[in-house]
Amino acid sequence: MSGPAIEVDGVSYAYGDREAVKGISFKVAPGEVLGFLGPNGAGKSTTIKILTGQLPAKSGVARVLGRDVRRDDPEIQRHIGVCFEEKNLYEGMTAEENLKFFASLFGLKGVDTTRLLERVGLADRAKTRVAGFSKGMRQRLMVARALVNQPMVLFLDEPTDGLDPVSSKAIRGLIEEEARRGAAVLLTTHDMWEADELSHRVAFINEGQLYAVDTPESLKLRYGKRSVKVRARVGGEVVEDSVALDAEDTGERLKEAVAAEGLLTIHTEEATLESIFIQMTGRGLD
Amino acid sequence: MSASRILTVFRKDLKLGPRSPIFLYAVILPVLMTFVVQVAFTSLFEPAPRLGIVDQGGSELAAAAEALDGIAVSHPAGDAELRRLVEANDLDAGLVLPPGFDDDLRAGRQPELRFYIGGESLASTRVILTVTTLDLVRVVEGRAAPVEVVVEDFGGGTLPLSARLVPLIVMYALVMAGVFLTAFAVVDEREKRTLDALIVTPVRLGEVLLAKALLGFVVAVAMALVTLALNDALGGSPAGLLVTVVVAAAMSTALGLVFATAARNTQMLFALIKGTGFLIVGPVIFYLFPEWPQWIARVFPTYWFIDPLYRVALEGAGLGDVWWELLVALALTLAALGAVVALARRMEARLAAE
Repeated sequence: MSGPAIEVDGVSYAYGDREAVKGISFKVAPGEVLGFLGPNGAGKSTTIKILTGQLPAKSGVARVLGRDVRRDDPEIQRHIGVCFEEKNLYEGMTAEENLKFFASLFGLKGVDTTRLLERVGLADRAKTRVAGFSKGMRQRLMVARALVNQPMVLFLDEPTDGLDPVSSKAIRGLIEEEARRGAAVLLTTHDMWEADELSHRVAFINEGQLYAVDTPESLKLRYGKRSVKVRARVGGEVVEDSVALDAEDTGERLKEAVAAEGLLTIHTEEATLESIFIQMTGRGLD
Repeated sequence: MSASRILTVFRKDLKLGPRSPIFLYAVILPVLMTFVVQVAFTSLFEPAPRLGIVDQGGSELAAAAEALDGIAVSHPAGDAELRRLVEANDLDAGLVLPPGFDDDLRAGRQPELRFYIGGESLASTRVILTVTTLDLVRVVEGRAAPVEVVVEDFGGGTLPLSARLVPLIVMYALVMAGVFLTAFAVVDEREKRTLDALIVTPVRLGEVLLAKALLGFVVAVAMALVTLALNDALGGSPAGLLVTVVVAAAMSTALGLVFATAARNTQMLFALIKGTGFLIVGPVIFYLFPEWPQWIARVFPTYWFIDPLYRVALEGAGLGDVWWELLVALALTLAALGAVVALARRMEARLAAE
């Protein structure tokens, strides 16, 4: 398709009197990963529920693959994959049975579940009941389940939360593969490093409002300091100095810093996504 | 609605069913209850009185004994074998009919009739076999009974207690499968959040509910029939029985869906069932106490399927005798399904908001 895979325009939702989402707008293109960042209760899950057709937006328009999600349209569900934060697998079924069952709900026959399980590193546990899986294995199977229909739009809610580094890396690799395949990915995560690493763009949401939707790079440029911090040991004491990158003497000062005896470290003072989020919203992500 | 998706969810539930305690209760407990009732009120472990006959001359008495209901007749090879079997308590009694027994009897020559009684046989069994044998002798002799026996039934024309307990057991089978299994299957998916995973696929909530209802319905029909068969209460009209069981299972399942869509979790489900349980099982109590005013049972919605079932299965009624009650049961089922539609809408909204 040529248009955006996800299109949200002025969407609002309220639980009773409490406004959970306040007229937010954003788009996600095919093949793009949008990191959806915000603290608990910011409106991330509500937005995903609206986009997956679980909740009807009170106002505004939300489209997935060009179709209005307010309509009870199984055609949307046919092309989306959802990985929930909660591990809602069938514990009494094996990994393979879980995948085959969900494939059959999509009307798919002959899905290569072995290949899917290989992709998440669970091929050798295909015949094991999920009840005997560790948290990391369950999470990997959740991601595999979300991919069973080769979705054009992927909603991933904290897909690496609480996982060991190896499992996290495997899942990040999968997300990148899916984006390369052309799937639009809406990724919610608390892990700023992960968001920075994976997302083509990030959206900051807090108290139902979107504060920014941009690439991590341009947010950092806009909100970070254009300077490097130099630390050196001078006469037995550690001394710190900041060198502005846009000054006339930047080159000279950096040369001096590098040549100086006792140089300990040189770091850019680029802002992190978390610090930018705090700067913009006045609160942290936890 | 997609029949294929409904069947996919149904097959999954059927596969996972045996791992669920509710499923096991629904299948095992009605059988266990039947067993307990049989032991307590009838003679599951008491076989029919066992009579061995050694007929040395082709007596009509042996054939007449064979034709009797309720007595197990066997024919040991000879007198010695008969004695051995009675002594070993493999037979309750043994009868030796000498050659020319029938002719001697009819000629009034008082032939010898050897009658062995097992020392370990029950007194009631001995009485039954003795009286039966004397009665058969009179039949062979061709004499009319010397007295006219007038039977007075102290049960007031009602069925024995063991039969009146059958509606309770069948109701249990229907409620466990139709109501409990259906409702629990939905609430379990909701609590474990697997329902969330289902409804973001092309499956609609209505399809999930129908799949659960199908599971409860199939198990309810099967267990009601098994329970009736175990209690020897299949009536005289197979078609009538099947239709009545199907209506009963349909109404039970519809009630199960009402609970399923009203309860948010298992605790609430149990509370709802406990709170309204009397309305469901109420009518079966009236069968246990026939002296109570029976019209009160009609107040309970489930009366409209359990009474036709009782009459067809135990009193030999046909479909033509119970069609009116079955129509009322169907109307109540439709009303329950109407409530399910409204409750399912509320459930869908709540699910998303949770």
